Parts: sequence; C-alpha cells; structure tokens
Amino acid sequence: MATATEVKRRTVRINGCVASAQAAKYADVDVIAAYPIRPYTATMMALAQMVANGELDAEYIVADSEHSQLSISHGASSSGARVFTGSSGVGVQFAYELYSPISGSRMPVQMMIADRTLDPPGDFGSEHTDALSTRDMGWLMGWACDAQEAFDNHLMAYRIGEDPRVLLPQMVCQDGFFVSHITSDVELPDSGQVKEFLPPYKHPYPLDPRHPVSHGPQIMPEQGPPLQLERARAMEGAAAVIEQVHDEFAKIFGRRYDPWVEEYMTDDADVVFFLQGGHAVTARFAIQHMRDNGLKVGMVRLRTIRPYPTERVNEVLSKFKVVGVIETNMGLGSVSSGGVLYGEVCAALYESQHKPLVLSFMAGMGGEAIVLNEFYWMAKKMTEAQKRGKIEKRTHWVGFEE
Amino acid sequence: MSTKGTKIPERLMIPFAGITPAPTQEKGQDLFPTGNWRSIRPVYRDKLPPCNNACGTNEKIQGYLDLVKRGKYLDAYALIKEDMPFPSVTGRVCYHPCEQACNRGKYDEAISIRAVERFLGDLGQALTRDVVKPGTPNGKKVAVVGSGPAGHSAAYQLARLGYKVTILEKSPKAGGLNRGGIPDWVLPQNVLDREIERLVELGITIQTNVEVGKDVTWDQLKKDYDACVLAVGLIEPNSARAEGENKEGVHFGLPFLRDIGMGVSKVKLGARVAVIGGGNTAIDCAREALRQGAVEVTMITVEANPQEMPASPEDLHDMKEEGVELLHARAVTAVLGNGKVEALQLHPARFAGAINASPINIDRETAPEKFAVDNVIIAVGQRPSLAWLPQEFKTERGTIKIDRFGRLGDTNFFAAGDIVQLGQGQPLMVVNAVGDGKRVAFNLDKVMRAVALEPRTIPVDVIFDLNRMNMTYFPHFPRVQQTLLPPKSRRKTQQEVIQPFTEEQAVEEAGRCFSCGTCNACDNCYLVCPEPCIVRDVRSNGLYKILVDYCKGCRVCIEECPTGCLEGVPELDFDTGVVRMDTAFAVSPGLHGRQAKELKNLGERAPKNI
Repeated sequence: MATATEVKRRTVRINGCVASAQAAKYADVDVIAAYPIRPYTATMMALAQMVANGELDAEYIVADSEHSQLSISHGASSSGARVFTGSSGVGVQFAYELYSPISGSRMPVQMMIADRTLDPPGDFGSEHTDALSTRDMGWLMGWACDAQEAFDNHLMAYRIGEDPRVLLPQMVCQDGFFVSHITSDVELPDSGQVKEFLPPYKHPYPLDPRHPVSHGPQIMPEQGPPLQLERARAMEGAAAVIEQVHDEFAKIFGRRYDPWVEEYMTDDADVVFFLQGGHAVTARFAIQHMRDNGLKVGMVRLRTIRPYPTERVNEVLSKFKVVGVIETNMGLGSVSSGGVLYGEVCAALYESQHKPLVLSFMAGMGGEAIVLNEFYWMAKKMTEAQKRGKIEKRTHWVGFEE
Repeated sequence: MSTKGTKIPERLMIPFAGITPAPTQEKGQDLFPTGNWRSIRPVYRDKLPPCNNACGTNEKIQGYLDLVKRGKYLDAYALIKEDMPFPSVTGRVCYHPCEQACNRGKYDEAISIRAVERFLGDLGQALTRDVVKPGTPNGKKVAVVGSGPAGHSAAYQLARLGYKVTILEKSPKAGGLNRGGIPDWVLPQNVLDREIERLVELGITIQTNVEVGKDVTWDQLKKDYDACVLAVGLIEPNSARAEGENKEGVHFGLPFLRDIGMGVSKVKLGARVAVIGGGNTAIDCAREALRQGAVEVTMITVEANPQEMPASPEDLHDMKEEGVELLHARAVTAVLGNGKVEALQLHPARFAGAINASPINIDRETAPEKFAVDNVIIAVGQRPSLAWLPQEFKTERGTIKIDRFGRLGDTNFFAAGDIVQLGQGQPLMVVNAVGDGKRVAFNLDKVMRAVALEPRTIPVDVIFDLNRMNMTYFPHFPRVQQTLLPPKSRRKTQQEVIQPFTEEQAVEEAGRCFSCGTCNACDNCYLVCPEPCIVRDVRSNGLYKILVDYCKGCRVCIEECPTGCLEGVPELDFDTGVVRMDTAFAVSPGLHGRQAKELKNLGERAPKNI
C-alpha cells in the first residue's frame, strides 16, 4: 500500500485538473492509468510529477489507449488496488467497452472526466456528451462546478464507491476549461482528515493467487438477469450511502454539499434554470443581475446524475412554474430533439401534482460560455411561457433564434 | 425503488458480481459450457527431440536434462541407464552427435549434454547399489563375445531381461575398446572398472583370457548357450601401405594405446614422433605420445586441412593446444632407416573423391619430402579378424554378415558393434556400438520368446525446425564450459584433461535445454489459458488435461507452448469428448437444460405427415 506524505491543511490557487490530481494524491491511490487527451491531461501531468518527486507512491502506468487505460484499471482494481484514471471527449468513448464490465464486476475504479466536445471536428471546449453517453453503464456520476468541489467530489466518490454496500465505479466530472483550466482557491485538507474520512480500499474478493477466485467467467444465460438485478440494487442502494457520506464529509472537512441538487435563490423563484457543472458559476452571477432587475429567477444544479435522484428532482422542481433545462450536451433525435437532460427531468416530474412547464435550452455547447444576454434571453422565454401557461416549443438553440 | 421487493431464486444465486469460487482441478466451473464453440482442440503430442534422435543409443536426453533441471538426479540417472549402461564412460569419451544435432546450436550454443551425462554417470558410480536390477531369470544362457561397448551394452540389456549372461573376453581385463582404445587422461581405468563391476553385480559372469577360435570354438558356443552375441570389434590395425612399416620404432595406433591401457606397454618413444592418420584415434595417439615423453609430435594426414579430418573439433583443438603440429595433404610412401625408423618419405596426396570414402591419389611425380623422426605411430583404422567364423557369415569386407535385426541367418547368433558397422555408412563410435548392442539384445530376446522381428513402421516426428517452438520464451544464454587442465601441465600427466561439472553447472546447463517438442511441465499452458480449461493434478509430465467441456479452442495455449508440444487438432477429428449444441445447455440443471431436453424431443413430437 502506498503512503502519501503527511501534509498540513492549506489553501492553494490551482485549477480543476490539479485539484483532481491533489485529490488522487490525498486518496493515496495505488495505480494510475494514464493516456493523454486534452483537457484532462493536466491531471495526469500533475500526478506524474508527484510520483516522480516521491510525493505519491503509486504505480503510474502509461497505457497505449483509453481502452487499455480502463482495462488496466479493471485489472488493478480486481487485485485490490485503489485506481485512478481519467479521460476527455472521444477518449471516454474509446474505452466504452470496459464501462459495463467494470461496474458489472463491481470494481470501484475512479475516473476523472474533464469534458470535451465529441468530434467532429476537433473542439476542445466542454460539452457533457462524452461522460453522459455512458450514464447507464452502472457508474456513479456527477459534475462539480469548481475546482474545490471537484477535489471534494473525488474523495467522496472513492468513499461511496468503495463502500461494501455499493462497490461501483465512479465518474467524477468537471467541465473542460471552465473548471479544469481556470485557477481558483482550493483548500487542501490535513492528510489526517483524509485518513479519517477515507479508509483503505478492501475488495471482498480480490484476485489473489493464495485465495483463488474466478472473475468474470462465462455464465449461463439464466444467470445473467440476477447479476443485472444485483447491479441495479447496488446503484439504487448507493443513494443512502451517498447521503451518509456527504454528512460525514461535512463533519470532517466543514463543507456541506447537498448530495443531489444545489438550489440557488429558489425560495421565491417562479422560473429556474436546471443545469450541471461549471455554468452554474456564471448562472449565479446572471441570476443576481436579473434579480437586481426584478426578475424572480433561481437555479437548481444537479450534482449527482447517477444514481438519478428522481424523487428529489420531482419534489424540488414541482415548486416552480417553469424549468429551463440548460443541456450542455447533445441528444440528437432525443425526446426534445435537443439534449438528454430534458427527458430525465420530465420523467421525474411525470407523477407530480404540480407539473412545471419544462423547456430545453441548447446552450453552452462546444465549450462556449453562456453570456449574460443569453441568460436574459432564456429567462424571457421562460417567463413568456409562464404568462402563456404553455410552451412555444420544447427546445431552443440559444443564440440561433430571435 | 424499482428493485424493492425483488427476490432472486435460490437456484440462480451466484456469488457476488458473478465472482465464483476457484474452479476445482477436476471439474472446472459449473457454468456455461463453451466447449461447443471450439473448432480446434489443443492436444499434447510429444515429438522426438533431435538429441534423442541423433544419439546412437537414443538416450532420452531431453528427459534427463529436464530431471537434472529439477534436481531429480537419481531419476535422471535411472532414465539414462535405460539406454546406456555406462554414462560415466560416454560422459567422457562420447563424440556427442547429440550436441551436433542440438537445436540450441542454431540459436546460440548447443547444450553441453556430454558434461551433464558425465555428472550423472559419476553420481551413479558413487552409489553403493545401482538403480538397475537384473530381470527375473528366464533360464536362458547367452554368451557375449567381447566386452567392448557393444558387448557391454548387449550383456547389460540381456541381464536386465533375465538372461544368464557370460562375457568371453580375450584380453586379461574386460573393457575392450573402452579399456584399450581410450587413454587414461580421457577415461581413467577406475571409472571403467566400476562399470565392469556393475555388470558383475547384475549377475553377469566375465571370463577373461578366453579367445574365440582358440579357447572356445564356434560349435562349443552353439552347444553351451541358447544364444550368442558376437561383439568382437575390429582388432587388426590397418596398414598405411608404406614400404618398411615393419621397421623398429613403427607402432600401430590401437595396439599402442591398448598396451598402455592394459599396463603392458614396453614402448619407449624418442623425441620426434610422427602420427599417421587424421581421425580421433590418431589424435589420441598423438596426445598420448606427448605423455609418453615425445618432445615434437607431428600428425601427418591426407586431409588437406583440419576441417576435413574425421575428428572431434574439441579434441583437435585440445591437441593443438598441447603442442601437436599438423602436416596436411601428405601420404607416407616409405618408412626410411636402417632397421630402425629414421625418417618418413612423404608424397603430396589427396582423396580421389569424397573425403575418407574414396581411394587416395598419391602424386609420385613430385619429388618426395623426407621427414626425420624417431618413431611412427600408424593410426589409419582397423579391420576385422574373424578366422574362426564360418565363411557363410562373412561379408566381402570381412565383417560379419547379418540381417537387419543383427542376426546371423536363422541361427541364434547375433552380432553388434564395429564388427558389423564398419562400412555401413555411420561413424564407428562408442555410442553407436552401445546402441547396436542394445537393439541386438532386444531382438535376441524376441527370437528367444518366438516373437516376430518386424521393422519399425511408425514415422518419427523429429523437431528440427525452431519455428515449431515459441522461441520468445528462450533468452539467449551461453553454454557452460567445462574447465580443462592447463595445456602445459597435461603433457606430464595421465590426469583427466576435461574437468567435471559441479552440481550448479550441471543444473544451469540442463536449464538451457529447450525440451524441443516435448512437454516439460513448464505450466505455461496452465497459466495462459484465459479460462480455467487446463488442469493439472501434479506438476509432472503429461498430466495436464484439457477440459473439453469448456475449452473454446482459442489457441492461446498452443501458440504459447514454448516447446511446441501442444498442437491444434481439428475438432472434427475427434468423436469423444465433444460438446455438441444439443447437450451444451444441459450441463447445469437450469432453464436451458430443460429447453435442450425439449428440443431433443421435438423431432419425435413433430407431425409425421405435413
């Protein structure tokens, strides 16, 4: 088992990538599987330095592709190692084969994602489609909106995923550039705090020549459904663990996050933006600005999309008149013909007695920032719908319509 | 919660995430039987390693090297003793055709097989009781004439088969060519003595000073014994066809060595000695001459260069190291001197055709050279001396006429060794005589038991091609060299020139063996199989088993078999152990098993007339 150097709590100015690397170091990971692709690469660069400098005693394996990265991670995790890997954009897609086997064999591999728009063409900007396309593969998944939250999410994700009641892999996501490359103040904890919060990883049936077991054998078709059911139970059962871990995190580190949604100025709001990730930071500013101009706007930010907090989303969004889903992802030919979040939101609201109107905004695409005017434009569409009591159309491509 | 209230039936409960207990060695897993996906089945098929094939007596060389590798020296010794009565002797004197054939020689350097054999032979010498036991007596008496390599081997094998064997030896000491043809500094007398003792321990009677044709007649042999093996060797030295060979100071190779070996030599060599001949005996004579006090020894050969000489390159090298000079492409045409040799007359000469297998062309047009010497040793081969043998059993060459089984007509006489091998196209060497003695003993046994003698018909697959193995498993590694006495000190002593391997050296050298084409229980197949389809009971040869219910025929084990033992055989060649589609689902008692049963009955239940 690797041992990290003892460090004291301090605040540093780092970007999201380095915050992720710091989290991996604090988590005292055993195996790092790296393969470069922008923008997440900076995380692996930072980790490489830490390993080279002796700050972190871990096996740093440079894979020959993302597929290998995840294969290495799968194997290392099976042997009982705490594993850290990551990717961006098309890299996430290239490893696709491994997502189900890893969660199916219940290996709590952690993967850091700094989002990147999928090709074509080569676009470095953030778009959540890369990670979201794997959302049903049995990985715990959620977005951070800043570097501090990214750091915290990594530690919490390990703790949740490695919990014997859960044992599932985790995708810890952050927007490329907006989070991954913009520096901000991040409070790094005492290593003692992390030790207290995150016990060493212990898989119940690791691959060990002294106690041989067989992982991933060919099974009879009839043995498939029970395994799928068990995986579904694990994913659903993770919800309780997630809440418990967020509580403990708050007690030890002093930062309390709602595990499912962040509500911003929603107390008296009629219309709210519903989004994930880094755009929340600009949204908060825009909401402040709009409120100064008398608009009762709020924001609900989804922090964990898998497991999806259906009841909670229902409960929270039922309070409002109109919900504007800022997608930041592509769901070509989907329910809304826009992004995939719309469907998730509407399904959660289907049973609601007070269904709000739901709009889907294709904004923040391709790594473009959502500017103040656009927030005003979206708010206008929402208030118009509220007045009308009916939506004009489901999906708006922001910046491309009058 | 969508999973709330779900229940998994007992029979479908499998451990966490499909992780199952490790498969048992016998059964593998009771899971989906993937064997019916297979079109190629891995099969362990041992080939013959080239060393075993090249060995005159087909020692199981790969087998004993593998045992040495694993530290099982006694087992290795027992294995070598199946084919070779005296590994301590051949471990010293053999010209090791095995090493010339060794596949490793094409890769880096051949295995030093002879040195490992000597290691095992010396181990055997130290045993109070030998591992070999005489066979259950069958009441039959066999005479073996001659106690050289062929006679020794035949007598040994016959005793193991239960015959009462008597060896008749014309010399005062048993050993034949082993005693009389090999100098002490190659094979110390006490080593051979111990091997002769082993024959006596097997219940063999050795009568020395008994010469066939003089002390015992052909008819007596016929009368006194149920069968007889003639292994009399070649005892008459060939002449160099030079004038004046009868002069004082002229010696012949084998008698020269033999008298020294028997301890009856009265030879006093002068300072300058010439040895005529280019073979191994000539080399032994030249080196012996140095030890007998000669100062300058010159070897005179018809062969035009050392490469042409029918001699072991190592021995040639060691000889030159000791200071023997070579004079090539010359024939001795006369021994000059007044009653005693003073000089040799030499003419340029070449073989008319193939080296050593054609007449010699002597160029008498050129003026002869005169080569001053004090002694000459002529070592140009031997010939038979069979005055006592009925004429009908003699070949034109004067050797014994036998059938392909070594039998003289339909008599109970057999012959083996140089006396039959001369001129048969194979080099005359100890190991070939041993092999001949062994085969003849087995044939004699068959005749005694009235079993038909039939030539072997099954083709032997010798693995010569390195591409049939997976060479990535064999890192290059140099041959472990035996140490030699310093050349300077050799000339003064009868001490053995070549030093034995230590245990560590023997193990290291045996470890270089590829085990060409043969399963050596390396466990690679067992480890690389992506599914638990290969099982082993114990780590030992031939005990791996393919679980055909599960093996998909992915070929990984075949490709990764270092030695090339594993082969892919088309599944259609088999009619046993085949998992067909209709039984594939019936292995476990689940739904699909029941479905398969239904499917089986479907044909019967189908309406007959549509």
